[in-house]
Amino acid sequence: MPNLKEIRTRIKSVKNTRQITKAMELVAASKMKKAQQSALSGQPYAALLAETLANISTRIEELDHPFFEEREVKTRGIILVTTDRGLCGPLNGNLIREVQKIEGAAKFVSVGRKGKQFLSRSSRELLADFEIGDSVQYIKIKQLTEFMIEKYLAGEVDTVEVWYPRYINILIQSPTKAKLLPIAGLGEMITELRGKNAKPFEDSDDDRNFKYEPDPKTILNELLPLFVIRQVYQAVLSARASEHSARMVAMKTAKDNANKLLDALTLQFNKARQAAITQEILEIAAATAGSE
Amino acid sequence: MNLEIVTPEARVYEDTVDSVVLPTTSGEINILPGHIPLVTEIQAGEIIVSKSGSGQSLAISKGFAQCVGDKISVLAENAIHIDEIDESAVEEAQKRAETALATMEKMSDEEIAMFETQVAYARAQILLKQKGK
Repeated sequence: MPNLKEIRTRIKSVKNTRQITKAMELVAASKMKKAQQSALSGQPYAALLAETLANISTRIEELDHPFFEEREVKTRGIILVTTDRGLCGPLNGNLIREVQKIEGAAKFVSVGRKGKQFLSRSSRELLADFEIGDSVQYIKIKQLTEFMIEKYLAGEVDTVEVWYPRYINILIQSPTKAKLLPIAGLGEMITELRGKNAKPFEDSDDDRNFKYEPDPKTILNELLPLFVIRQVYQAVLSARASEHSARMVAMKTAKDNANKLLDALTLQFNKARQAAITQEILEIAAATAGSE
Repeated sequence: MNLEIVTPEARVYEDTVDSVVLPTTSGEINILPGHIPLVTEIQAGEIIVSKSGSGQSLAISKGFAQCVGDKISVLAENAIHIDEIDESAVEEAQKRAETALATMEKMSDEEIAMFETQVAYARAQILLKQKGK
């Protein structure tokens, strides 16, 4: 049986761990709320982008854009979104397992340190690594996406995909692969942008024809990249919300475990103390009996 | 007329207005009620909103504007109200972007493009602020 001092030290260290996990849980919870909010605040932009695209889509047949061109997929281009830090349960592991299943050539752009480490350790082709940090800035995502689009247009990669842990709810985050380029259909793209429970477009009683300045082609050329950027932006925001909720759940489990361990240790400590006292009394009693 | 200005990060402005001046790539245009349906490209500059006789200004970076019926929607990367512009912060940002541009041999095209947008947006904000004084 371990002596009292040993048990006491263990209790102390478990208590410390519990303190830390508790603090991390609270921090993750507040960050999660923020991440969810910023994921929502992008909604009006997405809706408006969808509307503008819908308006221009009537003219789309006249315009052939490289984004719509299907070509043979030799090399996939994948934007891998992971977290910077660990202690968030199986979040990164699940996503990385998907990456390991890839057959054929693929080139990667990583967001997040964990993904970068994995890619370089498994010696896969990493084109670039972008540090996004905790608060996701649109301008950084824009830079990243434009880099990828350029590779796509140059023919270096034949698809552009974003892989990320999609936020479903606090308990569930599913590894998701979203294909951004080539664009499968404009209709789907518009539905995707507007979200599931969007209202139908308001019918305007204005039936005059649209005027495009400078011309539809220029506008489309500028609009389509915005759409791709916006999707990556949304994916990263979703990944951030996933990260914080996964961390919160992991830390809660850790805290509960610490509590259980503490209970067990305290019981053991009390038993050991009681045993020691009994032992002492016995010894005193025996000594008194012997001296009489 | 209803005007809304949205960026990927937030909805910056939403109100009923009398007329709007937009800095399009082919020059400034003034939109009054009953305008023809229009989709246009916007460059970094100033949006002037007039509402019941008084004018308001916003600085905006490049984007799009759409006008359908009596609804005008502006999509931009960035937009800021004149009162919220912090001149010194903007000047600093502009300086940073310009220094970065000065060493541009090492940069990729999209980095250059990004800094150029930043400089343009910063310039638009400063111009607007100085005009307001």
